[in-house]
Amino acid sequence: MTALRLKNISKSFGPVEVLKNIDLTVEDGEFVVFVGPSGCGKSTLLRVIAGLEDASAGLVEIGGVDVTLTPPAKRGIAMVFQTYALYPHLTVRGNMALGLKQARRPKEIIEKRLKEASRMLSLEPYLDRRPSELSGGQRQRVAIGRAIMREPKLFLFDEPLSNLDAALRMNTRVEIAALHRNLAASMIYVTHDQTEAMTLADRIVVMRDGIVEQVGAPMDLYNNPDNQFVAGFLGAPSMNFINAGQHGFEQAAVLGIRPEHLKISDTGPLQGHVTHVERLGADTNVLVKLNTDEMLTLRLFGQYDFEIDAPIRLGYAMKDAFLFDENGHRVK
Amino acid sequence: MNKARRNLAHSIAAHTLLLSYTILALFPVFVILINSFKTRKAIFRHPLTPPNPDSFSLVGYETVLKQGDFFHYFQNSMIVTVVSLFFILLFGAMAAFALAEYRFRGNVWMGLYLALGIMIPIRIGTVAILQMMVASGLVNTLTALILVYTAQGLPLAVFILTEFMKQVSDDLKNAGRIDGLSEYAIFFRLALPLVRPAMATVAVFNMIPIWNDLWFPLILAPSEATKTLTLGSQVFIGQFVTNWNAVLAALSLAIIPVLALYVIFSRQLIRGITAGAVK
Amino acid sequence: MLWAAWFAQGIHGGNMQTTVRKQRFKWHIVVFLAPAVLVYSAIMIFPMIDTLRLSLFTQEGSKEVYVGLKNFQTLFHDPNWSGQFWNALGNNVWFFIIHMLVQNPIGIMLAAILSVPTLRFAAAYRTVVIVPTILSFVIVGFAWKLILSPLWGIAPGILDAIGLKSWFHPWLGKEEYALTTLALISVWQFIGIPMMLIYAALLSIPQEILEAAECDGITGFSAFWKVKLPLILPSIGIISILTFVGNFNSFDLIYVAQGPVAGPNYSTDILGTFMYRTFFGYQLQLGDQNLGAAIASVMFAIILVGVCIYLFTVQRRLRRYQF
Repeated sequence: MTALRLKNISKSFGPVEVLKNIDLTVEDGEFVVFVGPSGCGKSTLLRVIAGLEDASAGLVEIGGVDVTLTPPAKRGIAMVFQTYALYPHLTVRGNMALGLKQARRPKEIIEKRLKEASRMLSLEPYLDRRPSELSGGQRQRVAIGRAIMREPKLFLFDEPLSNLDAALRMNTRVEIAALHRNLAASMIYVTHDQTEAMTLADRIVVMRDGIVEQVGAPMDLYNNPDNQFVAGFLGAPSMNFINAGQHGFEQAAVLGIRPEHLKISDTGPLQGHVTHVERLGADTNVLVKLNTDEMLTLRLFGQYDFEIDAPIRLGYAMKDAFLFDENGHRVK
Repeated sequence: MNKARRNLAHSIAAHTLLLSYTILALFPVFVILINSFKTRKAIFRHPLTPPNPDSFSLVGYETVLKQGDFFHYFQNSMIVTVVSLFFILLFGAMAAFALAEYRFRGNVWMGLYLALGIMIPIRIGTVAILQMMVASGLVNTLTALILVYTAQGLPLAVFILTEFMKQVSDDLKNAGRIDGLSEYAIFFRLALPLVRPAMATVAVFNMIPIWNDLWFPLILAPSEATKTLTLGSQVFIGQFVTNWNAVLAALSLAIIPVLALYVIFSRQLIRGITAGAVK
Repeated sequence: MLWAAWFAQGIHGGNMQTTVRKQRFKWHIVVFLAPAVLVYSAIMIFPMIDTLRLSLFTQEGSKEVYVGLKNFQTLFHDPNWSGQFWNALGNNVWFFIIHMLVQNPIGIMLAAILSVPTLRFAAAYRTVVIVPTILSFVIVGFAWKLILSPLWGIAPGILDAIGLKSWFHPWLGKEEYALTTLALISVWQFIGIPMMLIYAALLSIPQEILEAAECDGITGFSAFWKVKLPLILPSIGIISILTFVGNFNSFDLIYVAQGPVAGPNYSTDILGTFMYRTFFGYQLQLGDQNLGAAIASVMFAIILVGVCIYLFTVQRRLRRYQF
């Protein structure tokens, strides 16, 4: 069964088209991440799925049922918000139970689920506190707990980690991944952080300007991007783009090489000098200015020393060269 | 002169100015209050000394309580103020929520239409308001006053509350929608509790002009049964001009509830003015 | 319910794109807006428009007769009325000038002193300055009337104590002083409002800007003139327009202190009292609601012109700074 099917979704605010004919299917139990730069429409798409925003045109199906005109509470979804959105006047218990109470579910069921969810998220000690008495990470867990309580057909996450500090973000990321494994639920997750996308997703949906650029498993997208945007968006430091014609590829406009695929080589075709070195401990990023005046980033594993302005020659394997035409489409 | 001494001179000058203004601001209230407890002779002989066992007298208050129905006036003022505030806050918050939360055609125009009344005083329409109240038989009822004050208070209430409603987190309202709350429940259970501080500000802003208004009670509800405290004391004092004890006591009785309310709400009021102005 | 019908077209879904199915009509928007819009339209906007309409009519027997601008002609030119009208208008302008010259500068000065961060007891002073503002006109009017009364002798007594007894006059009873005295009483009552608004504006100036000025050697008075004052100009604009609207709409204080005839000899008559007298009549004169409506219309026009001047010229020129 499919958890979600979007057909031809479009959305405009006045004259501004923020989503253009989006088609997408999410399978049962799948973890799908929407990723893209800010303003690409990923959050709007999530809100259309949730029913918080009406699509201007198109069809939303959740669990095989057309929910295009169904209010959010009846769609069988749960959502975790960026700002947590906990009800400030309710306790943790009240926050988590409100949705089920509103749906008039029996007390025993609510109690049972509350117990399970708070155990799963280690929230038992905090059930009678109010949101203002919790730390950021705890609030985030309550927000997730509130979603679990609903036992939804589809979980929606709207940049849930962006308000947490770096250490907590990593922990929570692992927790969400574990949650997905334990619940085996279908999840859609919106983020602009490619690390979250790469580490969490079964499939990634890369969006730009209201259009889906490419859909696929993380490593597929990384190893086999359809276009220059996807190639440049995934990977850090991002892919180097240089003029293809000047470097021996007459059939294409742009040559892309990932920083880690560049090698120092006395016979390499790319000649230039070092302009800056970033030492990160486990690896070293070297910024190189080519004689053609183009900039490249080279990523070396381990620790290296370079003199600034020292000449350097770089090479790469043919299989690691990505070629794109002038419209950014991949040339194979 | 070194810096410390200059600062000392500055601060003495500042306190002198502020203290003189404080005296000027409180002096009339002080004079009225102390003299209201004195005999007629003491009022004229030593107007600036507080009452002592010799000069103490409650004769003014006795006259007032015998002759004027101040308790009843007070009750009328209370009813008019509290009910008007209730409707201003309820209707104002509802409209503000609609303007802040929903995109619909004419949203901006509706906001401007409602804001018109902030600058144009409702008194301009008095002639037609009186005609309307006469036609609908509402003259000399507290309802007439409540209607007028509600209309008068709404523009500013909508304006201020819209700003605050916009600050209520969208995520929170959406979380409520996903939990199955209706739009009404989202308003009453999520948005209203969060804008309570702003509502308090609006309430205090409106409370004073409503309580103190003389114009509309005079025109719309001058009957004995519907007199507010402000109109009641005005009429009473007008009748007893020469009875200084009674006049001073009546003034004191009018001052005391306002002063008491002010002591309770002054922090709210000052915070409201300062917060509103930052915008 | 025109407005509801008009909105109904826009409330569906809120966008213009062709949607295949009809979206639910969002009744809750109408429900949220209706009470406020109805009360406001019925009690505020409609009477205002109706008052403007009434100013174009006159009463003949029990019939309303359209007379065009004749009421205004009466007001401006008829010897029975025009003297009173221009007198009231002139007095009102003077009333406003006194407020602008006394209330606002003193208010700004008090606010400037209060906003000094090292000042002690600032909260107490702040609380006290507002006290007169919360008192009703009845209290303010009678209290000052008593204090200034030659019968009671508080004012002459105080002047005597500082050796200025000869300065005393029964200010409220003399034509040449009464209006100015009342204006000053009104200033005394309302000074808290400009003071608080300016105080708030001063507090919102970031400390960094003042510290930067201090590094540039701008402190004390010059910091106020060169840094703070330019930054609070928008607030000064707001208090000016608030004062304008409030003054041309005044009535209560003068009615309480001097009665509807605004004595002595109409010397304290302003548009509000003039309108009240015209509308309800006094002594032998019968009330004339259409002429009253005409005066209200003039007040409306004056306030509207003032507000428009403020909105379209003053406010646009005053730059607002984002901190």
